Amino acid sequence: MLEAKAITKTYTVKQKQGWFKREKQQVHAVKGIDLTIEPGEIVGLLGLNGAGKTTTIKMLSTLLSPSSGTITIDGHDAVQDARYLKQMVNMIAGGERMLYFRLTGKENLAFFGRLYGLNGKELTARVNALIKLVELEDAQDLPVERYSKGMKQRLQIARGLLNQPHYLFLDEPTLGLDAPIAKQLRSIVKDLAMEQNKGVLLTSHYLEEVEELCDRVYIIDKGTVMMHDTPANIINTVVLDYRVIVTTAHLNETFKHDIIKTASTKQLSIEFYDTGDGTVWEVTASFDPTQVFLDIIMTHHQPIFKLEMKMPKLEDAILQLAKERSA
Amino acid sequence: MWLTFRATFIRNLITMKRAYPWSFFIGHILNGVYLTLFAYLTYHYVFDGSLDSRFQQYADTGNYLSYVISGALLYTFSVSLLMIVSRAIISELREGTLEALLLTPSSRKGYFLGYLSQGFMRLSLEFVIVLIIGGFFGLTFSNVNIIGTLVVLLVFIVSLFAQALVLGGFMLYFRDTYLTQNTLFMVMGLVCSVTFPIEYLPNQIHWIGQIMPLTHGTDAFRQVFIEGASLSTVGTSLIWLLGLIAIYFPIGTIMMQKMERHVLEKHFG
Repeated sequence: MLEAKAITKTYTVKQKQGWFKREKQQVHAVKGIDLTIEPGEIVGLLGLNGAGKTTTIKMLSTLLSPSSGTITIDGHDAVQDARYLKQMVNMIAGGERMLYFRLTGKENLAFFGRLYGLNGKELTARVNALIKLVELEDAQDLPVERYSKGMKQRLQIARGLLNQPHYLFLDEPTLGLDAPIAKQLRSIVKDLAMEQNKGVLLTSHYLEEVEELCDRVYIIDKGTVMMHDTPANIINTVVLDYRVIVTTAHLNETFKHDIIKTASTKQLSIEFYDTGDGTVWEVTASFDPTQVFLDIIMTHHQPIFKLEMKMPKLEDAILQLAKERSA
Repeated sequence: MWLTFRATFIRNLITMKRAYPWSFFIGHILNGVYLTLFAYLTYHYVFDGSLDSRFQQYADTGNYLSYVISGALLYTFSVSLLMIVSRAIISELREGTLEALLLTPSSRKGYFLGYLSQGFMRLSLEFVIVLIIGGFFGLTFSNVNIIGTLVVLLVFIVSLFAQALVLGGFMLYFRDTYLTQNTLFMVMGLVCSVTFPIEYLPNQIHWIGQIMPLTHGTDAFRQVFIEGASLSTVGTSLIWLLGLIAIYFPIGTIMMQKMERHVLEKHFG
């Protein structure tokens, strides 16, 4: 298991004060995060910009040392046993970094493979297997500068798997990718966790992706964990509103009056929009209001053209949290 | 370490074959040739072959053209070698590959040695070409002590490698290559007895020349290559070079480690 206990990271930055004077300032990017990742589990790390996600990932991947706290994998300390940890973890970042553009896909993998201590037949076999996994056989001998974004990202995944890491950190892995390619990458990530038992930490601005993939999610803000649970529990805890959208025939005044009266009694919020097809009602409540409205509609013998339950999503939960924070 | 060495060597070789701008190669040779030509033309057409009486005393040779051409040869070689090794990490930073490199448990020594060896391959070719061209303009080969020359060059290369680590540390700190390297190269051109003995300069700045491997490298090289002197004759220069290795290598290694962390925090944090 990967375990981070009370990790902090403080940077010293210099602020310009006039022409020659510079003042040192301490920036606390991470202020005591506890985090665990089990093998075979996909864990999400979410937060607004500047929350400390990237710094946390860099510390977990040994690129940065924590200012305090400990990071261990199966009891091995990340600072004292960094070499061991480097064999156990890898990181894949979104965008077009971490590859040599003038080398071919295969040459890139061979280079990094050697840096991980692979050689000879073992290196060749690993490189070929990974090229096959990410479906780059046809492009393996082309320089990376001629790859599309999606191909580069798939090659990055192959690079990230060269050392057969037990834990993989994915920092915005689908950033800027077309929907079909992003879907393919998500499928690879799922397989890595489910079939190869790798622990995965994922950060992404695409919250549907996090909701789809992650078993647990950490939401961090200003360097501390605000919330940690399964996506479903986070949504249930944070988003307390149910939304139902009903489209009926145009409403007469009696009917409208009846609805408003019921809404007031039941403490519902309701809005009407007239469209060419009829009237759209958007109802928000702290409980599921579907039955209440079905009863009213049935009493007035009105036909229902459309009934839509808007299920709250992780995105709603994050927006709600951001709203609460700024309030 | 050796796998990292091999990986870096192969990668740089492929990159050079595929993408190295040959204008760089020609440019480096032309630098050496210009210095040679300049010395030749000024010596023959400006000074009319006459030398200051102190030259023989300061330079331990009366062969001015060989003195300047060998200085130009080693200066060009030093500049190129220093650039190759010192820019390694900052180039990774600029290309966005530094994180991927630092994620691996690879040996930094192997990495830099891979850079050095592959760079040396190209530089040797440039060196030989400038050497041959120098032969047409007055560089003498009649007294060459071959073994002595090889030993001097080997020690000299190691000392440049150590100096390049320190230079690389400064480059990472300032996040700049151009100003940092060119400031050093300009100083080296002035105080390292490249085209004239350092003794012509005020005593107060001699120490700058003493801390540059190029000063002792050119001094020893001239002795063994032009004068055919034995290794014992250039013992002082070799001791200086070994001393500079002993100082620059640990400083460079520590600086590189510290600067890598500094860059990661500044750049990615």
